[in-house]
Amino acid sequence: MILEYTVFFVFAAIAVIFGIVVIAHRNPVVSALSLVASLFSLAVMYILLEAPFIAALQVIVYAGAIMVLFLFVIMLLNLQKTIEPRTHPIQQFLGWTGSAAFAITITYYLAKGAVILILPSTPFEASARTIGISLFQAYLFPFEMVSILLLAAIVGALVLSQKLRPQVPLEGAEQR
Amino acid sequence: MNFDATDIVLSFVKIGIVLATMLNVTPIMVWVERRGSALIQDRVGPNRVGPFGLLQSFADALKFILKEDVIPAQAHKWLYTLAPMFGLIPAVTTIAVVPWGKPFVIPEMHVFGRTLFEGGRLFEPIIADVNIGILVIFALASMGVYGLVTAGWASSNKYSMFGAVRASAQMISYELALTLSAVGVLMASGSLRLMDVVHNQTGYFVLFHVIQIPAWNVFPMFIGFVVFSTAGFAETNRLPFDLPEAEAELVAGYHTEYSSMKFAMFFMAEYMAMATMSALIVTLFLGGWDIPWWNEPANWIGFLLSALAFGAKVSFILFVFVWVRWTLPRFKYDQLMRLGWKVFLPLALLNVVLVALFIAFRWI
Repeated sequence: MILEYTVFFVFAAIAVIFGIVVIAHRNPVVSALSLVASLFSLAVMYILLEAPFIAALQVIVYAGAIMVLFLFVIMLLNLQKTIEPRTHPIQQFLGWTGSAAFAITITYYLAKGAVILILPSTPFEASARTIGISLFQAYLFPFEMVSILLLAAIVGALVLSQKLRPQVPLEGAEQR
Repeated sequence: MNFDATDIVLSFVKIGIVLATMLNVTPIMVWVERRGSALIQDRVGPNRVGPFGLLQSFADALKFILKEDVIPAQAHKWLYTLAPMFGLIPAVTTIAVVPWGKPFVIPEMHVFGRTLFEGGRLFEPIIADVNIGILVIFALASMGVYGLVTAGWASSNKYSMFGAVRASAQMISYELALTLSAVGVLMASGSLRLMDVVHNQTGYFVLFHVIQIPAWNVFPMFIGFVVFSTAGFAETNRLPFDLPEAEAELVAGYHTEYSSMKFAMFFMAEYMAMATMSALIVTLFLGGWDIPWWNEPANWIGFLLSALAFGAKVSFILFVFVWVRWTLPRFKYDQLMRLGWKVFLPLALLNVVLVALFIAFRWI
């Protein structure tokens, strides 16, 4: 038990610290890499919750694929010197009060103890087999709907990128 | 989970064996690469230091340690220093979930009046027998690209930068084919645990009721094997897919600015990733530690011979890596992308459909 608590608090601290670095650091590449570290520590949380399958998916999909894509885009655009866009005073006011209200609410409910700190005692199975069975039996229809939605998004992205620059050939496209 | 002192000692022994092997892969493979390239190009190769030049790699290692460590003035110092570690850690840790021999029962022993291994204890030659083995490998393999990308960006050199951008694009494209081509194996064995994958390949396929061939996955899913191996070459950035490095165009790609031990760490990461990829190809498609046409006894002889068989298969695949590097020229960038998305992705999907048909007809 003491081992679990140690692992939890170490990785929770890592996740929070790198999460702060993501929003606080000026350099977008450092931010992106910190997000990777934060996501990785989240995967450790899933392992502590005895859901290693979800932990692996977390690393493969978020830390592995999506963040590599983010980094690729950041490097390609070369966002070295970011010029802060001019903000309206009303925007600043709303931003500050909104986030302050959010912080106060969170602290209030944490102090009140309204957060579930103990997991349900029923053993909960999140193996690849059980997730697969529920995806392809109980939730088959939503699952297929989501895949159609993703397909539509891909086609939409392709159409948009073609329309924006009709003259310039895409890199790697056959234009002979 | 209960464990006692014996388990902890056994774990340390296993970790020691695997780590020692992995750390020795780099010098040995560098020697094999240089002598192999010499053989292919009809040269002599390094033959002065030690017998057959075997100690050349150790002389090189010493040279790396003694060289000055240069950090460019324009570089992002933190990330520049961390990048080689980002590359090395996934390369070393991935091998932990790969089984490297037949499990056997250690018999009870009496040493100096103490009883060791009471009632016999099962020795499983795998560091972490997790039930999501393959996913762990893909997860860690996808982390490997951060070493390259961070190195290329932190150097603040345009050639390094090009290497980094190429590395990330290549990795995303080929990871898809790599993962999809392994799906067939999972379907056949019905488990993500690599121990089960190997056990599933220990039987035989009987052709025409006469010919016995080992039940290795390479036979029913040859397409998957080819796609997986090729995508593996791309994932480890070996020639024909070494676009992130591409000496002829980018000086040395992502590690242009690196010197001394930091450069050596990239070197080690590359060869260790190669060894892990070979171990994976062997485990998923070539029967792992299985010796064909022989039922290994579940004792230490069976364990030793199966571990040797595993080592021999991995060495062969590693030699193929070298062989291919000195035989094929580098792809152009558009060819690389077209091959990944238009050839390998459909082929990997075809492999999944074929394996599903085989299973439906109960052929495998």
